[in-house]
Amino acid sequence: MTQTMTDIRHPAWHPIASSEDLPFRHVYHGQLLGQEFAVWRADDGNVNVWENRCLHRGVRLSIGLNEGAELKCQYHGWRYANRSAGCTYIPAHPADAPARRITNRTFPAVESLGLVWSAMGDVTPFAPPLPEGNWMPLRPLPVNARPGAVLAALTAAREAESDVESLPPLGARLVLTGVDGRAAVFFVQPVDSGRAVIRGVVEAESWDDQLSLLRLFNERLSTLRRQVEAEMALEEAPEPLVPVYEPVSLELATMPDLRFGRQAKLRVRVARKWQAGADVTGLELAALEGHLPTFQPGAHLDLFLPNGLIRQYSITNGPGELLSYTVGVKREPDSRGGSVAIADELREGDVVAISEPRNNFPLRRDATRTILIAGGIGITPLLAMAKTLASSRLPFELHVFARSPEHVAFPEALDKLGESVVPHIGLDPAGTAAEIEQLVSGYGFARHLYVCGPGPMLDLVRRRTAEAGWPEEAVHFEYFKNVNEIDLSSTFTVELARSALTLAIPSGKSILEVMRENGVDAPSSCEQGACGTCLTTVLEGIPDHQDVYLNDTERRSNSCMMTCVSRAKSDRLVLDI
Amino acid sequence: MITLYDFELSGNCYKLRLMMSILGVRYDIVPVDFYPGREHKSDWFLKLNPFGELPVLVDDGLVLRDSQAILVYLARKYDTTGKWFPVDDPALTAEIEIWHDFANRITGTASAARLTITMNYDFDLEKAQSGAHQLFRTMDEHLWFAEREGREWLCKADHPTTADIACFPYTALSEEGGISRQDYPAIRRWLDRVRRIEGFTAMSGVFPASRAREAS
Repeated sequence: MTQTMTDIRHPAWHPIASSEDLPFRHVYHGQLLGQEFAVWRADDGNVNVWENRCLHRGVRLSIGLNEGAELKCQYHGWRYANRSAGCTYIPAHPADAPARRITNRTFPAVESLGLVWSAMGDVTPFAPPLPEGNWMPLRPLPVNARPGAVLAALTAAREAESDVESLPPLGARLVLTGVDGRAAVFFVQPVDSGRAVIRGVVEAESWDDQLSLLRLFNERLSTLRRQVEAEMALEEAPEPLVPVYEPVSLELATMPDLRFGRQAKLRVRVARKWQAGADVTGLELAALEGHLPTFQPGAHLDLFLPNGLIRQYSITNGPGELLSYTVGVKREPDSRGGSVAIADELREGDVVAISEPRNNFPLRRDATRTILIAGGIGITPLLAMAKTLASSRLPFELHVFARSPEHVAFPEALDKLGESVVPHIGLDPAGTAAEIEQLVSGYGFARHLYVCGPGPMLDLVRRRTAEAGWPEEAVHFEYFKNVNEIDLSSTFTVELARSALTLAIPSGKSILEVMRENGVDAPSSCEQGACGTCLTTVLEGIPDHQDVYLNDTERRSNSCMMTCVSRAKSDRLVLDI
Repeated sequence: MITLYDFELSGNCYKLRLMMSILGVRYDIVPVDFYPGREHKSDWFLKLNPFGELPVLVDDGLVLRDSQAILVYLARKYDTTGKWFPVDDPALTAEIEIWHDFANRITGTASAARLTITMNYDFDLEKAQSGAHQLFRTMDEHLWFAEREGREWLCKADHPTTADIACFPYTALSEEGGISRQDYPAIRRWLDRVRRIEGFTAMSGVFPASRAREAS
């Protein structure tokens, strides 16, 4: 039952490691059919099998750092998320969220019989080649020989013909002489055309002394290896296999869909709905299958409600948590109906639509100290940031301002962050102002501050940090909503430089609306000047800023604007659209 | 005061920097231009070590050569725990010596391959590489069964010894000599453990490990 080379290229599941090869915070170096793998177990137990190559400079990720929820390349520190292999952070661009398309190639991973199995190409779903049981993996034995020759040598080493049962692919249940006549099952992992690993399993319960059994098999297989390698030395070495580099998916290879206005791209199931705080509903939105797209701390999503409303919620997850997104919704009876619809109508088990995550509030990971200030439901993006900083053991403090202890949302998640969380409970405006003044009093080099909360609180933090000498670029803020009165009365002309289109903007309509009426789409999310999604480069003219996203320096620069609310002070604006 | 005659890219010099970093011993460095200057064969250096080999360590006038011998000296003189080179258990002491010898064999193969590729030395590359693979097969098997017996280090002790320090550098640098460690998963795990020893220091080509934290 020798196998030819064409057989081993046939798509099939092969063992690529033992489960015990993936201890805590380790990266295993694997290979199947010429394709190298970086294999690592995240702290949540998930096994990742990735192409062994950083997308940046091609360095092997198997020498990278397993940080528990992200794998960090040893060379320039690019980080990739557990499950999706999407890039979450590029140290050379600390203030930017990496593009969604920077996603490494992943391979399937299944743990069964104490082994890790993977496959290349189109394979049928994994089915265990043996009944589940108390299988104990033997010491894997790499052999420098053709996989087919290794299997042939293994089956030739059997004691009795009747005991041999071949198992697909490259597997055999057989008895090896000198091992107490017990059956063992061996799989030959085709590493390359001239390299293989013998991976054996035996039923552990039937043996008293596991260690001497493991040694016995190891000796027996080592002898076999010597014979096979001696024979192979007489043959000409086969050409190494060239891994199949499949083209990346269309979604990752092409420019994003130009129609990326507010699109309900994803369907998720409400896996859990609970009281996450006195006036906060927690929602766990789970993937219908597989995992959800990569996000970075600070990211938000659009939730499309059954009543037609679209609302933005920050993702509170820690790094590498992609089976579901957890968001917090504050119940506001006087709102326009979004929070009430969620609190009263949405039920566990409902399927709802969301956008892909978008990050206009990215977290730097190069600060000497990070100060996070949360007011009320403003905790949500900062919770994701705190979890990320804690996971990398970066110094931070999370200040939580709330009306009462019961109003602190997500208390269980905050408990896990330990002493980095500082509650400020039940303060009046004067008390809050005094606390904030103290918090921002000590600006030091490379400190960064992130604040999310009600408008007056943000205004206060921005004022106080400016007075305390914080540079504007070190103070990052996210408003829930635009606190400005929008003045839509002006009329002006907008030239879209790249679209070669000139549009007249009448009073009462936004630039974004007029653009869409004329067939030019652009990304947007909140459409009220708070989230930053429609940020556009201004090439000429003076914008009339009405948003709460840009800081004062950005406003004064006249080089960017929010097309959903901002207008023009000059007669004409030229935009890079 | 200790003075180390050192070449930054030498694994055997790094061995001593690593040991002294772990033991918290302060030392001065005199750089010796091993490549391309061949300063280790210069008259002034030959007076220090007639073999013309790095490293040399001078402690208060005492001149020492041979990296394994110096490891023993440092451990016996500066390690207050007595664990890095224990002398009260003859079997353990002998076992450490066996791995010191093994370290020399790694130098003779893996380091020779690295010198050929990175510093234009004229060794038989194929022979050096296959010799290193033979050693690594032995070492991987040893470490795999050590893990099964609940041990993390090369010798039968619940703590690392100079044996681990002696074998670490040229194993960790083997890929610069074209010797992949893909087939030696137990060695790769042991390399992670060594890199997590408190006081560990890196060198060019030897990277730090991620933080090990207890899984909660």
